Amino acid sequence: MTDREVFLNTLAEKARRPRHQLQNHPLVPVNNLPETTLSGKTQDELLEIARRSSEAVNATFQTTTKAQLPAVLDAFVKEKITDNTDDPYQANDHNHLLLPTSDLYADFGLESWRDGLSNPTPTFWKPGVGRQANIDTAEHAGAAIAFADFLLAESGTITVQTTPGQGRAFHFLPVHYLGIVRKSRILPRSRQAMDYYDAALKSGELKTSNINFITGPSNTGDIEMVLVVGVHGPLDMTYLVVEDM
Amino acid sequence: MKTGMKTATMIRNSDHDFLTRVKESEADTFAQKAVAKAQDAQWVKREGAREELGNWEEWRNLGEQIRQHSVRYLPDYLEEFSDNVEKNGGHVFFAQTDVEARDFIVNLAKEKQVKNVVKSKSMVTSEIGIDKALLKIPGMNLLETDLAEFILQQDDWDEPTHLVFPALHKNRDQVREVFMKKLGYEGDNDPQHLARFARKVMRERFLKNEMSITGCNFAVADNGMINLDTNEGNADLCMAIPKIQVVCMGMERIVPGLKEAETMDNMLARSAVGQKITTYCTFTSKQVDGESDGPEEFYVVIIDNGRSNALGTDFEPILQCIRCASCLNVCPIYRHIGGHGYGSIYPGPVGSVLSPVLQGNYDDFADLPYACSLCAACTATCPVKIPLHKLLIKHREIEMDDLHQSKLIDDVVMRVVGLGTGHSSLFRTALGMDHAMLAPLTKNQPETAENLYSNDKHLEWMPFVFGGWTKVRDLPDPPAHSKNFRSWFHTHEPVAADPKVAQHTAQREKEIKAEGKA
Repeated sequence: MTDREVFLNTLAEKARRPRHQLQNHPLVPVNNLPETTLSGKTQDELLEIARRSSEAVNATFQTTTKAQLPAVLDAFVKEKITDNTDDPYQANDHNHLLLPTSDLYADFGLESWRDGLSNPTPTFWKPGVGRQANIDTAEHAGAAIAFADFLLAESGTITVQTTPGQGRAFHFLPVHYLGIVRKSRILPRSRQAMDYYDAALKSGELKTSNINFITGPSNTGDIEMVLVVGVHGPLDMTYLVVEDM
Repeated sequence: MKTGMKTATMIRNSDHDFLTRVKESEADTFAQKAVAKAQDAQWVKREGAREELGNWEEWRNLGEQIRQHSVRYLPDYLEEFSDNVEKNGGHVFFAQTDVEARDFIVNLAKEKQVKNVVKSKSMVTSEIGIDKALLKIPGMNLLETDLAEFILQQDDWDEPTHLVFPALHKNRDQVREVFMKKLGYEGDNDPQHLARFARKVMRERFLKNEMSITGCNFAVADNGMINLDTNEGNADLCMAIPKIQVVCMGMERIVPGLKEAETMDNMLARSAVGQKITTYCTFTSKQVDGESDGPEEFYVVIIDNGRSNALGTDFEPILQCIRCASCLNVCPIYRHIGGHGYGSIYPGPVGSVLSPVLQGNYDDFADLPYACSLCAACTATCPVKIPLHKLLIKHREIEMDDLHQSKLIDDVVMRVVGLGTGHSSLFRTALGMDHAMLAPLTKNQPETAENLYSNDKHLEWMPFVFGGWTKVRDLPDPPAHSKNFRSWFHTHEPVAADPKVAQHTAQREKEIKAEGKA
């Protein structure tokens, strides 16, 4: 391999520009379009934009209240997890409900709902049990319910940061997927979410190796450009917005 | 570009010469129709997405600025990025050439006793030929996980035809046949059934592999994260499940911070496939304490491989490229000859500019700068404002003026044309004779939208070097001297303006003068 200094000096020589000039020439953007596009909307307006954008990316968009949240989640689980042995995605023990390990259950008033689940009994992404155990659990999940950080109105995107209780594969291996997000966390577009993550990472408030922006279910147009949903990740995606939070 | 510096060695993907490749492409009518369909569909999606965003030209200015700035301070940003990757517990390796990059990854796989590798789609890994190098390790299993690349791998490593839709040239029956032959598929040719079958095959492989290789859409200098955009999520599975991740990164794929990455992701998705953002857009690095999955070992290989040939030259703007392929999707030449016609893993206008730069000479790609109608649609659509058609002209200038690659006969012809067009008497004489001299070669043809202004006659064949034109298109029959525009203009007196119009014009002039005085 080429030594780093040799590599970088070669570039500077070829470009005929000395190194270490950046401090005096920081990037000053020519405009502020990333910040100002779609800015100034109310949360109600953003909710409606998010609804339209989410439906356009084949995500199911639902709203509920904190009081109704357990019932809506029960309905989701009942619809998505079956014992139907004809279903190739849920036969062979691929029929668990995967949940994160998180303090957010209390915020959403879901502690008793979580503790009372029995059909199916939930499995959890657990800190400390190791890579293989968590990946196996996620792989056998018929559905996962995640806590999302933000919902981006413009694109119909949920964002999630990797935590010890909600790992990377949590969002990719289960067959069906639902992300819960509070209405107050609907942002105009990806710039506002990025502003948050950038500041939180730089301040040390956020310690994560991975941030996912997920916009609808996995899809491909690789065979004759025909849109096929669910080639790798979950086959479908539901965004559940809690309106009074 | 300083010629003669041979660097990239693996980007040529055909042994045939340019004209043979063009003939082969023209014979593949399915691929031609598929490319046309893709271009038309992407036109609607791309332009719609840009219009919906609004202020597209201003966004382009921002995109150009971010990329120009990143390239201008490339050594500084690479230094910052590599420091931050190491601060995060990862490792960075600098590879001047494809050989260095390949050797590093192969040796790493051997050292770690890796037998199962999954890959996500990446142009730079194709550029360094890592697949075939890894497969030389005894017992090695390697799997491309992007559906299109998976199809091409199963089809004995067929060559890709597009940067974004690599298997565009294959129809569903061909895919079905490959899956039946190689993987025991027994279903029909429905793309959904084929894709679901591939999902099952690949999912099993994902769960038992030790190392992944991904590309890198953007590398974030100020925090050492890499940014990947996909619609399938295969790259995310590559970054979640294996313990070892190797990131291959063309050295120019750097941006200052997360905000600039976010801006470029938005512009990339809109330009590539007409989406506001790709289905999965991920910012990632080595696993941190407490996390269960993600790579425990994280390596970034920063690859030059001829890119530095562009630095400090007229070709430097090509390093701004974000591989959105929108230039392919508007190119009339690409529409006709498809990806395979270019003979490089980088097809289309970007490939015609980039391939000779990466290779450092014109040995394999001398024809590509001429595979261009200079319509400039590529330049107009480029989200980061690379002057692609001007760079193609620059390649031609170097080939002709500096390298003298023109054939003797071309020189003679161009000297004669130069003489004829440089003297008015000779030029008028030539105009007077062209119709009569070409008359024996003309054929009658009713005028249609395709041959508008052909005077009902056209030439399908011309002798000598002029045949280069008629090999690929018909030539309208030039009008007789008495009917051409110059003759017509001389025989017509200027028409006097309508008195009412003249009166109105005079009145308006008076008003404008009065307004000016006021």
